[in-house]
Amino acid sequence: MTSLPDLKRINDRYRMFTAVTDSTEYDGEFVFSAKDNLTTYDFPATAGSKILEGYRPPFDATPVKKMREAGGFLAGKTNMDEFGFGTFSANSAFGIPLNPYDLNRSCGGSSGGAACAAAVLEDHVALGVSTGGSIVCPASFCGVYGIAPTYGRVSRYGLIDYGNSLDKVGVLSTKASDLSRYLRVIAGKDPKDPTSCAQPEMPEALGKIRSVAVPKEAVQGVSKGVMECFNKSLEALKGMGVDVETVDMPVLKYAMPAYYVLATSEASTNLARYCGMRYGQQDGDLTLRFDDYFTSFRSQYFGDEAKRRILLGTFTRMVGYADRYYSKALRVRASVISEYKKVYETHDAVATPTMPFISPRFDEIADMSALDVYKADFLTIPPNLTGMPHMSMPCGYSEGMPVGLMLTADHWREDLLLGAAIEWEKGFRIVKPEVIA
Amino acid sequence: MKIGLEIHVQLPTKSKMFCSCPTEGEDVPNSRVCPTCLGMPGSKPVLNKRAVELGLTLAKMLGCTIPERTWFSRKTYFYPDLCKHFQITQYDTPIGERGEFKTGNKTIRITRVHLEEDPGKTKRVGDGSALVDYNRSGIPLVEIVTEPDISSPAEARQFLSDLLAAIRNTIDLPDDGTRSVRCDCNISVGKERVEVKNVSGLQNVENCLKYEAVRQLKLLKAGGKVERETRRYDEERKVTLPARKKEYEADYGYIGEPDLGTYRIAEMAQAIKVRETPTAMTARIADQYGIGEKAAKQLVSTSIGLAELFEDMAKATEPRTALTWCTGTVSACWKQYVPEMKDDVISVVKELHDGRITDTECGIRLKSLITGEAAEDLAQASGDLDALVEKAVDEHPEVLEDYRTNEKAANRIIGAVMKSSGGRYSSAEVVSAVKRILDSRI
Repeated sequence: MTSLPDLKRINDRYRMFTAVTDSTEYDGEFVFSAKDNLTTYDFPATAGSKILEGYRPPFDATPVKKMREAGGFLAGKTNMDEFGFGTFSANSAFGIPLNPYDLNRSCGGSSGGAACAAAVLEDHVALGVSTGGSIVCPASFCGVYGIAPTYGRVSRYGLIDYGNSLDKVGVLSTKASDLSRYLRVIAGKDPKDPTSCAQPEMPEALGKIRSVAVPKEAVQGVSKGVMECFNKSLEALKGMGVDVETVDMPVLKYAMPAYYVLATSEASTNLARYCGMRYGQQDGDLTLRFDDYFTSFRSQYFGDEAKRRILLGTFTRMVGYADRYYSKALRVRASVISEYKKVYETHDAVATPTMPFISPRFDEIADMSALDVYKADFLTIPPNLTGMPHMSMPCGYSEGMPVGLMLTADHWREDLLLGAAIEWEKGFRIVKPEVIA
Repeated sequence: MKIGLEIHVQLPTKSKMFCSCPTEGEDVPNSRVCPTCLGMPGSKPVLNKRAVELGLTLAKMLGCTIPERTWFSRKTYFYPDLCKHFQITQYDTPIGERGEFKTGNKTIRITRVHLEEDPGKTKRVGDGSALVDYNRSGIPLVEIVTEPDISSPAEARQFLSDLLAAIRNTIDLPDDGTRSVRCDCNISVGKERVEVKNVSGLQNVENCLKYEAVRQLKLLKAGGKVERETRRYDEERKVTLPARKKEYEADYGYIGEPDLGTYRIAEMAQAIKVRETPTAMTARIADQYGIGEKAAKQLVSTSIGLAELFEDMAKATEPRTALTWCTGTVSACWKQYVPEMKDDVISVVKELHDGRITDTECGIRLKSLITGEAAEDLAQASGDLDALVEKAVDEHPEVLEDYRTNEKAANRIIGAVMKSSGGRYSSAEVVSAVKRILDSRI
């Protein structure tokens, strides 16, 4: 296990934490971290935003509380894109975590700090959060296992909202068995989050995937290096006795616009509360009228991507536009769900690469437009829009950078994914990055 | 003139709509708050089922159509007392639609009934700044929206007064000023409608509508045009003033509230029994027992419990006898009556009805039963009172003649007895004895 002094030194190099414990030794049976949009009473919670700098929540998020009750020691809060808005963790107000395989590249996002911590710290479990792919993307870029469970499987109480109908708390680790063990710790009904109360219990036994579907639409626009790893992975799956079949899922192409409409609509209402009153930064000019006060405050402290999503989301909710965007997006979500359900009639899971390319360098990211960045998520968005459990497993390396294989299962069938991860781990060895403390 | 009202009533739940903070208690600002009703990051709402039940009870009382399923929405606007900067309310699936409410001889159509959370309170303090108290934040509200069926400020007041009485009776809403009632008033004299927001209390609603009607009429007479706008009511100066521009150009950008699911309410509504409104009860009793509107109203307005006692007594005896004793002796000592006495009270009157006891005995036993005073003392006092009444009637024979045609003639005897008895008997006792004796003589 990485010692605490080493952890702090490693953090100086990779910048995956926004806050690290003051303790000098561990007090608990295992060590975990929480993404900085999960509230805890003993650390600030900023969700990567300047507007929440200094905020000390008065309560523990339910998943954090459950990890502590299971004997977990919370080592720190991990860095992230502001409120989860991003794919590379480059939209944080508190520095950018660096990829352990190449410091010039991104850890992915928005749970970049969590994936980085899981990759470089020994025996570490990271709690991440996914809205549109924020667990599997960084898991893929950092070469670790990451699972985002079914929407409603894990309580969101204490999760600082991005898109409430899409947000999911999940687990990242280098060990497949950790995913199974700790997802069970944090899962379950919580009366403090009504959306967690409709779930069936998670079966004790691990499931077995016998056949996967590969949607044609999902392998278009994927880089050569990633495609090579993906095809090898499919061969490996076949070797494990899994049927692999190519299928058509034409509706998938509508998932992205629908996702951005829903996610930004909800986000723009969630972010309305940040106005320099009650919590977080409150150093605005009190002689201003309230409207001017909160406007100047929000202009100053929200990052560019947060502002872009507030504008997009406010627009799609406006009278005269809501029917064209928000209501239509809800209908698209329903049809994407039924497209997946149709596939599950004959297959246990859908398999795709997690990301269409290996982690880009920061100079490449700087050249990408907002739309280019949004498009990078075209593989991770569909399962997130449907609320279906999905998982990224390390499946190979291209140019020395990790590549992820993503499996998506039907609602509440995490057991299939967890079983697959444990089987996969038997035949796949992670090439660990060289960690300099 | 067309008037439509949007009425907000706080529901009498113990805890708030989406958290467990109490709705009542010590009035220290910001003492009844938690992360949820302060909208702190990471907090989530949990729906108080009781608020839905109470809302549904009112929707049923108003005869609304209740949908199979309902959900909540976010209404976004920036105001310091609304801590999330969106209000959790209902937009596309109100818990009730298309109801009606009778006031006097008129039926006012109800457009919709929906649930929402109350914001906090802003208090302006001299120097241009303001303080916010979130104790009210998250208290459940029901909003009742009427069609523009009301045709005068006085009618609006009457409607509101009757509606509130019905609401109080239906959901046991205390009439002690702790639960405020606020109205948004829509009024048009000509073609264009004006909305006056957030007027509290019956008197203010009537005054604000009167002012606004006159203002619009004057404008039209002078050849001007009424602007479609939102105004506010200044209670001190009793005038309506234009609201800030921002407040009526608001685009609330409603979306569904994803933190709360959908709720199947049709079944829940079916299981709810709605108490009869006082107005409906009055009409039914008058009709069913043939005792007339006035007597029925007297029973119901004294107490719903008295009206219920009357019904049971009328069934055990007959309506006239039941009416005499319920509005007489029983009504006179109503304050000491408890529901457990009901069977005994009825059996005493039944003995009279069966001819086993006299009027006087019946009166004494009822009074003794309810007040707990010894029957002998009461018999003595009653004998004395009856003697005084008999004497007064003998002294004023002309009253007996008048009384046949005019009940009010009894007042002369009542006055005389009150005077001669020197305040030994309550006026209710005297009234009851005089009527009984006059009735027996004619």
